[in-house]
Amino acid sequence: MNMTTPIEQRDFKIVGKSVRRDDVLEKVTGEAEYTGDVKLSGMLHGKIKRAAIAHARIKSIDVSKALAYPGVKAVLTHENVPRVLHYGSPHPRSASCTKDQYILDDKVRFWGEGVAAVAAISEEIADEALDLIEVEYEPLPAVFEPEDAAQPGAPLIHDVGPGGNLVLDPVRINRGDVDAGFAQADFVLEGVFSGGRPHPAYMEPNVCIADWDGSNKLTFWTSTQTSFMVRGILAEVLGLPLTKVRVLVDHMGGGFGAKQDLFQHEFLCALLAKQTRRPVKMEFSRHETFVAGRSRHPCKIWLKQGFKNDGTLVARDMKLAYDSGAYGSHGPGVTIVGTTAATSLYRCENVRLEGRCVYTNTPINGAFRGYGVVQSYYALDIQMDEAAERLGMDPAELKLKNVVRAGDIAPSGHPILGHGLEICLQHGIDVLDWKKLRNRDRTPDPKRPHIRTGWGIGCEMHGSSAYPGIKEQGNATVKVNEDGTVTLLTGAAGLGTGAHTALAQIVAEELGVRFEDVGTIHGDTDVVPWDIGAFASHTTYLVGTAAKMAAGKVRTAVLERAAMKLQVSPAEIDLSEGKVFVITDPGRCMTVAQAMGPSRGIPAANIVANGTYEPTKSYSFAAHFAEVHVDTETGIVEVKRVIPVHDVGRVIHPIAAQGQIEGGIQQGIGHTLTEDYVIDKKTGRSLNAGLVDYKMPLSMDMPDIETIILEAAPDPGGPWGAKGVGEDPIIAIGPAIANAIHDAIGVRFRHYPITPEDVLKALREKAA
Amino acid sequence: MKRIVELTINGEPRDMVVDSCRSLLDALRDDLGLTGTKKGCDVGDCGACTVIVDGEPVNACLMLAVEAEGRSVETIEGLQPGVDVLHPLQDAFMRYGASQCGFCTPGILMMAKKLLDDNPRPTDEDIRFGLSGNICRCTGYTKIFDAIKAAAIEMEAARS
Repeated sequence: MNMTTPIEQRDFKIVGKSVRRDDVLEKVTGEAEYTGDVKLSGMLHGKIKRAAIAHARIKSIDVSKALAYPGVKAVLTHENVPRVLHYGSPHPRSASCTKDQYILDDKVRFWGEGVAAVAAISEEIADEALDLIEVEYEPLPAVFEPEDAAQPGAPLIHDVGPGGNLVLDPVRINRGDVDAGFAQADFVLEGVFSGGRPHPAYMEPNVCIADWDGSNKLTFWTSTQTSFMVRGILAEVLGLPLTKVRVLVDHMGGGFGAKQDLFQHEFLCALLAKQTRRPVKMEFSRHETFVAGRSRHPCKIWLKQGFKNDGTLVARDMKLAYDSGAYGSHGPGVTIVGTTAATSLYRCENVRLEGRCVYTNTPINGAFRGYGVVQSYYALDIQMDEAAERLGMDPAELKLKNVVRAGDIAPSGHPILGHGLEICLQHGIDVLDWKKLRNRDRTPDPKRPHIRTGWGIGCEMHGSSAYPGIKEQGNATVKVNEDGTVTLLTGAAGLGTGAHTALAQIVAEELGVRFEDVGTIHGDTDVVPWDIGAFASHTTYLVGTAAKMAAGKVRTAVLERAAMKLQVSPAEIDLSEGKVFVITDPGRCMTVAQAMGPSRGIPAANIVANGTYEPTKSYSFAAHFAEVHVDTETGIVEVKRVIPVHDVGRVIHPIAAQGQIEGGIQQGIGHTLTEDYVIDKKTGRSLNAGLVDYKMPLSMDMPDIETIILEAAPDPGGPWGAKGVGEDPIIAIGPAIANAIHDAIGVRFRHYPITPEDVLKALREKAA
Repeated sequence: MKRIVELTINGEPRDMVVDSCRSLLDALRDDLGLTGTKKGCDVGDCGACTVIVDGEPVNACLMLAVEAEGRSVETIEGLQPGVDVLHPLQDAFMRYGASQCGFCTPGILMMAKKLLDDNPRPTDEDIRFGLSGNICRCTGYTKIFDAIKAAAIEMEAARS
């Protein structure tokens, strides 16, 4: 991010066009190979025995009956696997992770944790063998709520970490003088906000296959967003040289952040395969994707802010408590990112923040789209709406007054570039004729007098990298082949966003060839350049810039080679749409294929170049406008219409960018109204670990979405100014809905999900 | 107990030897190698394994393979009318961005085919209702609705 770097403008040939994605033909024909479709000869099936207790010591574990069961080939327990303390979240070069996991331990920390694993000749036999494993537990007192876990004398879940069930030392941020700020305030708002435990519910359950060869090398297929991190931690924990682990992932059935952990079953699968000397496949049931997967951190937030009567925000005091579940996973990263984010969004010079993250005896929470910011901006944005109400002001006007602008300090510590959020907000206000909407006739429809309509606005901003928590590196290799075609090698995962297509577009545009001539190789850690993983909304920004750098280098080399053949100087020629031509005499030209091919004693050749990029950060912005219908008889809230206005910098592939926004809105409507993975507060048992009881918005529930993407504030750190888009929509939609519900029925909700029961109860209390 | 099952898959007669407790989904994927049909939940909740059996959409995970004896099963592998020819729905799904991660796509395409076979001119509500048993977690459905509407119009035009 460099404010003085100009963003190159050009007449784009490929960037900005919705070219056909490179992965979709296989997807619509059923030919796309996902990890679970891989079948190896002699493959065994692995299954995990899961604890039916939330906190306990294992007194004894007897596997003799399971081992004797016909068809069972191996059984693993904490007594026969390596005992190596390791990270769950595999982010490299980062302080934001905690080493608190063993492959298998003699202690159980949540209901559903794996205590043993079986490999057998069929899934059914493996399943049956699990029942033959006898575990004797010594129950320990368990805690299920962060408040209880943080109490002095609460049962300790881990021996490592700062103690007191804290995952990390509290994150504290102080700017300006908060007490002086409150002293200037004309009024103060204070409230407690909370968020549930939404689950990403990617359609492809976690799955992996392990296969060892005669040289003791492990080939490992797994559905992961972070294949090189999987390679690194597997090698470390299994005591292998890095290159003795090869990780493969082709198509992925979604991840939404949660598939960037190193999961227990992945180690167990590798070890079962090692012990049996046969390939082993481990595939989660849908139930296991909940219990042993990762969900978003439940969070409780206390927020107090001081305002002047003109709407100026003069002080912000905020305490956030994230529930990590039984292990650290992404708890530290989420706490740091979610807390730091609250320095921004709405301008305030005096800020005091404290973020905590606490272990509980519940399933593990990890990375999920929005990464701690969903929670903190829900509170900030709703309280801004409350301030508008108190002031008798239009919330749009108050938000416009306070949103961050160019030069303000972003959570990363950098100045914000451009007025992205202001432009998005103003654009939505204009498009919707917001003032008229606010002043609309609110008389209920006489045919449906129990329906109240409301409109709300939610604002957000989100970084397109994990900087400064992680100093990232993006890599790309671009080859021009002797027939003029181009191959891009990238380690970026293709979890369904269209990232590889965007990268290929960038290469084609920069190099000056046709999009169809660029092929992409990905998903093999033995072949492609190292990649940090697909997360933090950064693939287009980070790897896209690396790809552009590599393409720029090969372009120069192609021009030099063509210049030699055309007998001109490289400065005299240009390359566009696969053709090299003399600028002053375009008739003198050759194709890239001719430039690369043999001629008059010059043999055919390849040109290869690498791009490596270490970015800081850019921010994308969005303002969502949502219309809800609240049924005052049933309490059901229907989201009818959403107008999301996003600034993503330069748009590389419009349809893919819209798809990210529309899908993010679907998931955000879910966590705001219906989705919550519920853990029983008495036993720690999962109560709705399935797709019927876990209620997601489906085809009948989706509103009309009229997506607007503005290239309002391009960032020079991304290719032609491109920024991220993956996480933004899920952050903005939540407060837009909560604020719209308030507009409809005059009730202020400060939690999610806002269920029909909550609505009815609040209406009853309001009437009383 | 193993049983021999004879059935028609995508127009071709096939037979397979399966355990009587084996689901049609596992038989398709593991015994016949037709892995285009996906397993998203294995309990009939998600619709990723939707196939068409004797003209009716079925969650293949909820049907036993032995129940398919003598019946005609259509899967995603049979949706293309010919080599290098796509069904209009497949083409529209690509153009409209209706497939992101793609894991739900085969099931949704089969359900959409059934929908358009029965109802060539569906309303928006018909499409929403028709897909109510198929979970897509990536797209927000918007582009899936657009693609199905576009395919319906193209198929109608091709008929007239």
